Amino acid sequence: MVKIVIDGKDYEVPAGANLVDAAKNAAGNDIPVFCYHPKMEPVGMCRMCIVELGMEEIDRETKQPVLDDKGQPKVRWMPKLQTACTQKVTPGMHVRTATKLVEDARQNVIEFLLTSHPLDCPICDKGGECPLQNLTMAHGPGGSRMVFNDKLKLDKHVPLGDLIYLDEERCIQCARCVRFQDEIVGDDVLAFHERGRSLQIITNSDPGFDTYFSGNTTDICPVGALTTADFRFGARPWELTEVPSICPHDAAGSNISLSTRLDRDAGGKAVIKRVMPRQNEYVNEIWISDKTRFGHHFTRSEDRLLHPMLRRGDTLAPTTWKDVFARVAGDLKAAGSDVAVIAGGAITNEDLWELKQLAAGLGSERLGTWTPTYGGADLVAKVGVGKGTNLKDLGKGDAVLVIASDLEEEVPMWRLRLKQAQDRGAYLVVANARHTRLEDFATQKERNGKPVSGATIRYNVGEAAHVMHELKTRYPEIAEKLAGATNLVIVAGAEGLTLDGSKALMQAAANFLISSGHVGKANNGLMSPLPGANGMGLHYMGFTPENTQHIMANPPKVLIVAQAEPGEDDPTAAAWLSKVETVITLSLFPDKTTHYATYALPIQSFAERDGTFVNGERRVQRFYTAQGPMGEALPAWKIVAGMREALGQAKPKVSAAAVMLEISNKVPAFAGCTYKDLAKVEKQFPDVGGADLYYGGTAYDNKGGLGVQIATSADAGETPAVADVTLPAVPKAKDGELLLLPTTRLYNRSHVFKPSVLVHPRVLLPYVELNEADAHKLGVQPGDVVEIAFGDDTVRVRAGINGTPAGVAVLPRELADKATPFLPTSGTIKKVTEPVLA
Amino acid sequence: MTNPIILLRGQEVPNIHQYDVYVQHGGYQGLKKALGMSPDEVINEVKNSGLRGRGGAGFPAGVKWSFIPKNEPVKYVTVNADESETGTFKDRLIMETNPHQLIEGALICAYAIQAKAVYIYLRGEFWDVAHQLDQCIEDARKDGWVGKNIGGGNFSCEVYTHLGAGAYICGEESALLNSLEGKLGQPRVRPPFPAQKGGGLYGEPTVVNNVETIANVPWIMVNGAAEYKKIGTEQSAGTKLYCVSGHVKKPGVYELPFTATFRELLYDICGGPSVEGRNFKALLPSGGSGPIVHLNDQVLDTRMSYEDTAKIGTIIGSASLIVMDDSVDITWVASKVTKFFKHESCGKCTPCREGTYWLDKVIDRILAGEGRPEDVKLIENVAKNMAGITLCALGEFAANPIIHTIKNFPDDFNQHVAKKAETKPVPAKKLAAAGD
Ligand SMILES: Cc1cc2nc3c(=O)[nH]c(=O)nc-3n(C[C@H](O)[C@H](O)[C@H](O)COP(=O)(O)O)c2cc1C
Ligand code: SF4
Ligand code: SF4
Ligand code: FES
Repeated sequence: MVKIVIDGKDYEVPAGANLVDAAKNAAGNDIPVFCYHPKMEPVGMCRMCIVELGMEEIDRETKQPVLDDKGQPKVRWMPKLQTACTQKVTPGMHVRTATKLVEDARQNVIEFLLTSHPLDCPICDKGGECPLQNLTMAHGPGGSRMVFNDKLKLDKHVPLGDLIYLDEERCIQCARCVRFQDEIVGDDVLAFHERGRSLQIITNSDPGFDTYFSGNTTDICPVGALTTADFRFGARPWELTEVPSICPHDAAGSNISLSTRLDRDAGGKAVIKRVMPRQNEYVNEIWISDKTRFGHHFTRSEDRLLHPMLRRGDTLAPTTWKDVFARVAGDLKAAGSDVAVIAGGAITNEDLWELKQLAAGLGSERLGTWTPTYGGADLVAKVGVGKGTNLKDLGKGDAVLVIASDLEEEVPMWRLRLKQAQDRGAYLVVANARHTRLEDFATQKERNGKPVSGATIRYNVGEAAHVMHELKTRYPEIAEKLAGATNLVIVAGAEGLTLDGSKALMQAAANFLISSGHVGKANNGLMSPLPGANGMGLHYMGFTPENTQHIMANPPKVLIVAQAEPGEDDPTAAAWLSKVETVITLSLFPDKTTHYATYALPIQSFAERDGTFVNGERRVQRFYTAQGPMGEALPAWKIVAGMREALGQAKPKVSAAAVMLEISNKVPAFAGCTYKDLAKVEKQFPDVGGADLYYGGTAYDNKGGLGVQIATSADAGETPAVADVTLPAVPKAKDGELLLLPTTRLYNRSHVFKPSVLVHPRVLLPYVELNEADAHKLGVQPGDVVEIAFGDDTVRVRAGINGTPAGVAVLPRELADKATPFLPTSGTIKKVTEPVLA
Repeated sequence: MTNPIILLRGQEVPNIHQYDVYVQHGGYQGLKKALGMSPDEVINEVKNSGLRGRGGAGFPAGVKWSFIPKNEPVKYVTVNADESETGTFKDRLIMETNPHQLIEGALICAYAIQAKAVYIYLRGEFWDVAHQLDQCIEDARKDGWVGKNIGGGNFSCEVYTHLGAGAYICGEESALLNSLEGKLGQPRVRPPFPAQKGGGLYGEPTVVNNVETIANVPWIMVNGAAEYKKIGTEQSAGTKLYCVSGHVKKPGVYELPFTATFRELLYDICGGPSVEGRNFKALLPSGGSGPIVHLNDQVLDTRMSYEDTAKIGTIIGSASLIVMDDSVDITWVASKVTKFFKHESCGKCTPCREGTYWLDKVIDRILAGEGRPEDVKLIENVAKNMAGITLCALGEFAANPIIHTIKNFPDDFNQHVAKKAETKPVPAKKLAAAGD
């Protein structure tokens, strides 16, 4: 800490802190800024943060401050005003922020800015939450002396890509957007063009603004120059109600705020007008991915399942909930304990708890996860990243290994934060059977003028566990660096692996962490990009992929498929689903699973109800009810509770909160996770939200809760033991065939993403990526349509030739209109002439 | 005594730009001598010579060199040949006629700070000069003055030329470094300064010196600091290339010691006013960016040194004398200069980007006879609001001409707005309604 003097008062501030931050935190002194942003390097462009700056004179000999006649340290004031944002505090620094000189300079900067500003606030999306408006009110002149009618006429609707529009007139050239892309994301797709007053933001990627994080620039843009295609002209900020929520799409569990409004188009019901980041420095800081931001439209999709449906012959017909509960109870009773549940990754803990209770009441513990691909969640519970982990703390001396995962596509928020860990000095190793975006960062030696370190490992498809298990002998140098790191985080996915392979990889990774002493403490341990927002919740509630495999092999009499779509995901679904006597689906959409259903029951999406998820860092997080229900849909837990009541098991709980209370009492992992606990907040840095939006942007401050991180058993003091790794057989193609490698694409044609129409131009057509030699052998050129055959099934996709390993064909899931393998599978490829999508 | 010639030496020798000719006339002896000294001794020699930067600010060159940290493994020298200041055309002369002098000087500097490479950054229009320099570099390399083990010792250094894309701001040292790195030519936040780790080319400590500054160095090495210091004034050692343009009979580049006065240059050498019957009115001693002065006897009798010009409220800067006789309307000058800076503002910081545009609009209005009486105060105030809070000195340069033209030639401005007041009185009510 160092002592500085602001407006005559002494403050203790962290040494080396930025002056703007220090003044705000220590003195509550809001030095106005436009270009400065607490998450980025200062650039001193806007000149708004101007202050008087002085240093105490130090006697060269005695090294003591020189005193004036009053015994006060003599201050040498700089002749010119200085920008506070470019100053790091030093001992003996004196700052004046409230003098006439400073006030005048601030007023002048505002006056200058407004000379070219269109002042179209009445039709500007930022109006009402605009730093320029706010700072003009606080510091600006009452009127302008720039009285020309032909102020500045520029293009007001420039699409920088499909998702973001630029209003050239409103841009104040602060470069926050450019710097965000360069410094934070590492996708440097924005730039300035021209100079002087013609200086304009352009995109230099094709397609435009090609990044998964573009929406964040609209939050930090201090004016309404950048707006999203989603929200532009959609509503005025002051009409919106902010509802704290959690992104339902992936394991990051990004904290979001759903901006809702009662909408005529929705029959007067509250609907989501936009999704905004909600600050949680542990989880997503103040950022969200574009999928999180734009992937909310499914909640109000017209295709949603709206009524409880009962099978009548070949069709499903609507019925009442009462009827459903009575009938289901009858079916369940008849099945005895031959009942099983398969639940998807985006279902809540409350739902899972009721499902588990239902099954238990019937004497069944057959609880499976969908998809049955990711093993080792139990190990995340044992040696996952320690309590208090914040990826933001990883830096110099630390290391990260990402293996068998394409994080950019699976959990973009983690990719963002781990890339930043590397920026801060962490050693980043990316191991995979093919190229991924994160690998680009790992191979860089220098970024934005600073050295970065990393390494990459390529292995044969399916050999991730082998590499991890034998890392010390295969890659001694890398292994040594990882083992010797102060903090080590391993992110292990399941790409290219069978379930056994995934389990082996997780165990091998856990072993590495245990033997190098990187468990049981913050910022150390294991993470996994489990699919969905509640992969860890599934684990804690006793749902396992092994059970799913068993269920698929031994179909029960009654199967409840809860927010899972095996019919959409599994090419072999017909074979086992049709053997189940009674399929009960709890579904958002009628889909290929409901084909098999006796009961297709509509559930509410995350936006229509409250509930909790456990993210990949084991943080239990709560979301709140944001918009009115669709049709007769109910929260899944309530539907299950209705079944339980009809079975005579228990009376339904009155609320999700009451369900969580029971969970917190009965499941040790959730002790201390009542809704009240989950709603706790603390002061975070940087201070965003409210009147401070000039500083951090329009990310919302967190009023809904920071969540509670579940301790690992290592945290709890249990000494984890290294366990044997059974190396699985590596998936191989049959003779003369190719190995189809399923991968994940962030933008896909799944039911929960398809309704986000604005992103459609960015969703790739179904494709397969081939190795050059293989393509040559098959006579396939880039762009050709090929038919891929696997098992009894075929799918038509477009071929790309992109340096995949020989003998391997990368076949991303959820792009085609039918199920493609979710595990590595042998298949054949031939060129055809039919179109790709019907 | 005849004036000492340092920078234009060899001009009379045919083909002095050729390596062999340059060597015959004592070329590369300065470098040879420097290589026989320790780097610190070279820096001290330059320090003791009193050589000041000729790019405008006049910062002591040896002191700048001594800022380069010794323990950093990678360091660079960058020669600023962007020469974009209005009325400046001296660096080009050096590079066209005696290019080896620059290369030799740059290598001495490189040796003194132990730089890995020298980059000569030239304005885009100097492509022919760059070609010639490239040839010179290759010629010097053949004799071992460039590249590995220079002069047979263990000092190695490459020399490269690089052409800019035509922006005045790229003469500002940190914008120059950005441009050299392939980035947008905008100034950087300082500190860190170019000489510091993190502030120079690719983040490495870097000396940035003007062509003319560097061209002095071989002479200093050969003749010694003491000889150099004998020339010029107390605080302005050596000679200077003065670029004279405007209303004189013989405009051009002239080398004079800093002891010379404006009168000696403008009358004795340049032959006085170009048009009979007209008198000198005003002088921009340092191009468009420095304060304008009345070209009166007091100014004429001032020595053209850093310290003497400061006393008359202006600067010698890069010594680009733009001379104006009494046919010139200073409001028009203010307008011309403002248009230049408006065109050249990089746009990075608010006051300069917006201020230059605003100033230009109001001056246009004044010149068009549409100005209002308060417009003069307005532009003066706008200029003052810009000055002192911009990111780089260009903002200051843009404010200077307005502040000083109004201060020194108020009548030139007032005549325009007075005309307006006479011819078209606008009723106050109408003014308010139009909001104008
Ligand atoms: C807007 C601006 C333009 C400049 N243009 C030039 C230029 O064209 N040539 C030059 O040598 N210095 C120019 N300078 C000065 C350089 O920033 C720098 O001070 C100089 O190159 C240092 O060299 P010196 O110490 O040898 O003078 C400019 C400065 C500013 C602020
Ligand atoms: S678009 Fe917004 S964030 Fe980007 S430079 Fe302009 S004002 Fe700044
Ligand atoms: S003062 Fe002008 S040239 Fe310098 S940084 Fe600001 S806008 Fe660019
Ligand atoms: S210059 Fe400091 S906030 Fe813009």
